[in-house]
Amino acid sequence: MGYLIYTRVNAYSLAPTLEPEDFSKFSWYEIPFQYLWDYFSHAWICLLFAFTAAGLVYEFIPKEVITKYMGSNKVAGYALGAGLAPFFTVCSCTMVPLFAGILYTGAGIGPAITFLLMAPAANILTILITGEFLSWEIAIVRILVSLAAAVLAGVIISRTPWGKAIEKEHQINQNTSVAQQTIELVKPPLDERLISALKFGGYLAKQIMPYFIIGLIVVGYVTAYTPPELIKGYLTGIVGVLLASVIGGPLYTPTLVEIVLGRSLLQLGMSKAALLSWLMGQPYDIPNMMAVSRIVRWKVVLTYALIVWLCSVTFGLLYGIITGSL
Amino acid sequence: MKEVKVEIIGPEPACVRCQTAKKIVEKAVEKLERDGIIVKMDKVNIISKDVVSKYGVLVSPAIAVNGTVKIMGRVPREEEIERLIRETAK
Repeated sequence: MGYLIYTRVNAYSLAPTLEPEDFSKFSWYEIPFQYLWDYFSHAWICLLFAFTAAGLVYEFIPKEVITKYMGSNKVAGYALGAGLAPFFTVCSCTMVPLFAGILYTGAGIGPAITFLLMAPAANILTILITGEFLSWEIAIVRILVSLAAAVLAGVIISRTPWGKAIEKEHQINQNTSVAQQTIELVKPPLDERLISALKFGGYLAKQIMPYFIIGLIVVGYVTAYTPPELIKGYLTGIVGVLLASVIGGPLYTPTLVEIVLGRSLLQLGMSKAALLSWLMGQPYDIPNMMAVSRIVRWKVVLTYALIVWLCSVTFGLLYGIITGSL
Repeated sequence: MKEVKVEIIGPEPACVRCQTAKKIVEKAVEKLERDGIIVKMDKVNIISKDVVSKYGVLVSPAIAVNGTVKIMGRVPREEEIERLIRETAK
């Protein structure tokens, strides 16, 4: 902890330091090792901190809040969906169940969609790593625009006829007060909670790291062999925003890899505006859509994917115009 | 001694942490059964309407003992489950 504060104070770079040009020096078999080494020699403390923080937050967030107030009314539903999603969904196994739960109780489809879209874009891990590897400006902008897109998508879908149909089909009863009496959580002592928080952080790391490492190797090659002219030609300007928003989604890789790849592309010359669109493409990734489409129909999934895509293009362009980095 | 009903509430297919929770409960139950406490264990789907209408929105993995959710969103320790079930069985 002390070391962490120390590094913060000294503004020591926790992000990797290799520039794309450095890669041309290495032969093909050296690239993954050099790239991984670069990442882990610099980024390990940032990753360690992110996983520990995620574990702690998840353990100590009062989970009763979501069960108690989610069913009450629409506004509370939206606020909770957007505000709490970042704290609840570091683990993918909680996301779809919570989505379904929110949909079935009083809050309905709007808040459920908001929650679903907000979750991958703004969970603790993603925010910390985006801030550290890319920039805190991009991290904060990412949260704000994801919030806007998520609420917008929720509100719009809750007004479409097909959205309303699903809501009606799934709603059980408005009276959730009955349910509250059947929940009496036991709280373990503090030391046990701390240990389980660390265990959960470790579990997250174990789940994510293998994909992260494979992702890093691939990104290493992409960084080494993509000519910067190609990126400068296609991933800047309005075309850049459009292209980035389109490939960002389907190319969605396991959590965190999109940040690393985004960082490489940025170094190779992608504009900051395109980077924002790239990062916003995440919520409509294919596996996520598959899981959700089992609960709601494809029409709803396609509607929210379209809204998020439009938002990612709009906000990417806006960000580019405002910061002059199109 | 009455029968205790334990429900492990998680998504279908079960997530890794729910499987861990289930294994821990199974171990505790094995121990308790040697002491003559009858435990009926059930794996229920968190997104089924029955569960949501009975318990509301839950964070998985959740564990309910005799129809009351005792643990939510975390993997408990074996001794903790054992104690919970013993208290309920009394």
